[in-house]
Amino acid sequence: MPVSDYGRSLVVLLLLSGAAMLVSVSVGSSQLGLAEVIQVALGRGSELERTLVLDLRLPRVLSAFATGGLLAVAGALMQVLLRNPLADPYVLGLSGGAAVGALLAMLAGLASVLVSGAAFGGALFATLLVFGLAHGTGSWTPSRLLLTGVVVAAGWGAVITLMLALAPARQLPGMLYWLMGDLAYARAPWPGLVLMLVTCLVAVPLGRSLNVLARGPLQAAALGVSVRPLEWLIYIAASLLTATAVTTAGAIGFVGLVVPHMLRLVLGNDQRLILPACALAGGTLLVLADTLARVVIAPEQLPVGVITALLGVPTFLYLLHRSR
Amino acid sequence: MMQTIRFLTVALTVLGAWVALSAPVSAQDLCARDGRDQLVCLDRPAQRIVSLSPGATELLFSAGAGDRVIAVSAWSDYPPQAAELPQVGDSNRLDLETIMAMRPDLVVAWVDGNSRQQLDRLMELGIRVFWLAPREFADIAWAIADLALFAGTRDVGALRAARFRDGVEALQGRYADAEPVRVFYQVWNQPLMTVNRQELIGKAIELCGGQNVFADQSRLVPRVSREAVLDAAPEVILTAGRGDNDRSWLDEWRQFPGLPAIAADNLYLEPPDLLARPTERMLDGISHLCQTLEQARARL
Repeated sequence: MPVSDYGRSLVVLLLLSGAAMLVSVSVGSSQLGLAEVIQVALGRGSELERTLVLDLRLPRVLSAFATGGLLAVAGALMQVLLRNPLADPYVLGLSGGAAVGALLAMLAGLASVLVSGAAFGGALFATLLVFGLAHGTGSWTPSRLLLTGVVVAAGWGAVITLMLALAPARQLPGMLYWLMGDLAYARAPWPGLVLMLVTCLVAVPLGRSLNVLARGPLQAAALGVSVRPLEWLIYIAASLLTATAVTTAGAIGFVGLVVPHMLRLVLGNDQRLILPACALAGGTLLVLADTLARVVIAPEQLPVGVITALLGVPTFLYLLHRSR
Repeated sequence: MMQTIRFLTVALTVLGAWVALSAPVSAQDLCARDGRDQLVCLDRPAQRIVSLSPGATELLFSAGAGDRVIAVSAWSDYPPQAAELPQVGDSNRLDLETIMAMRPDLVVAWVDGNSRQQLDRLMELGIRVFWLAPREFADIAWAIADLALFAGTRDVGALRAARFRDGVEALQGRYADAEPVRVFYQVWNQPLMTVNRQELIGKAIELCGGQNVFADQSRLVPRVSREAVLDAAPEVILTAGRGDNDRSWLDEWRQFPGLPAIAADNLYLEPPDLLARPTERMLDGISHLCQTLEQARARL
């Protein structure tokens, strides 16, 4: 791909994400629109307007962008690692581990900061568990990793169902919203944004190796890529990205699976472009979905995962249809 | 022709006599319409009652039928002696086998809490089911009276029902002209949930002279955004919290000092058990809520 095309694609995506964020900051359940947002941005506006924009909407928009971007990049990495188009950030059971941690914290009645901490701990535990089990006998292949992860994920699923079955009724809405993904309590977008930026900066130079790896490990080894360390690096990076995303907003589905595929249909399968593009497009999709989730039946709120799928499914099917 | 008429006359007479003999007078008295608008009749006062929700358990004890309750659903913790009774599973996952083995002559179910399918199965097996569906304060009094009727404790039931009704009326009278005050009632924190005006807590807020800022929402327990709460500018924020006397849900609002409720320091923790279930204890809950709102008015 020529450099100009590469740059153009990213600039278009960057503009789109900027526009999505601007729209998202300008709508909500209160009557506060673009004009007021501009006033606040210029340092004016009433105290209530400043609170609404700076304390509520902006952190949430940035969190949505970071979460969507992290999930899409993690999905793209997993698809390269496992050489399986069905791979997504959750396929190896990471969201299950995070969910068990979060739901346990909720059942114990812990504060939301500790729920996030428990989710992160659960995600890391799930990562290490699959890592250890797949590594066990020494011989290691992506298909072994995939099988281990899928079976462990099924185990997490059973534990989650058991916890939901035994939980007192008043706890259920909170638990279900966490499982569906919910940005209402995302407050600190910076770790996610920084992590996303760092990943893109690291991944672009590694992009050529990733491209070769996507074709198969033998070819990659023949071309001088040290396959095993690269695969572990991808696994750890994707897990860290997913854990951060899940900690911010619960298990938001669909973004990590479909955004990379969408971009491959449009931009081709060059990881040097796909990974930063995933960060921007995934972020944009989640920002738009969260905006709709906030305003469709305002002041009532919908879980954002519903909207990501409702927006993403027709878009993806259209692209798939067109690409034939 | 004559023969047919004579035969019919005889048949009707016999039938009438049979009905009169087999149905004792009391049977006609032991009937009540339940929350599904079905007429439920018992042949004789119930001796073995199974309660399928914590609220139903409370109402049965209020009706003086506590000593006839032989089993309850999980979480039936009030009155304390109810917690000692055998349990038949969680409200929405009942153990039908245990219920059948108890040979109940009356099962009291809760429209919002129990599974219709499970209860239909019980009814097919010949169990009498009385559904409760309290939507108004008056329904609580009716439920107490109906349950007392079935348990053969009508006098107790009538007394307690009247006391509840009078109590609500007295509060209504006392706060009818109270200064309106804008109230946000927080049911849950994550997701943020509140009540509309049809919900009993919403009705309690209005009875005490409060204006529920989300009264007009269409769902009983709507899930709202923080932005909507800030926009509604409530003068009072109330919650029962998680039920462990923990004020953290209230303190979270302090990050928005622009809220009138924060400026007036009107953040209140209501007793968690009193308003949670539509039972006799709700009267104490409403009374407490009204006093809280009085306190809040003084600070505005």
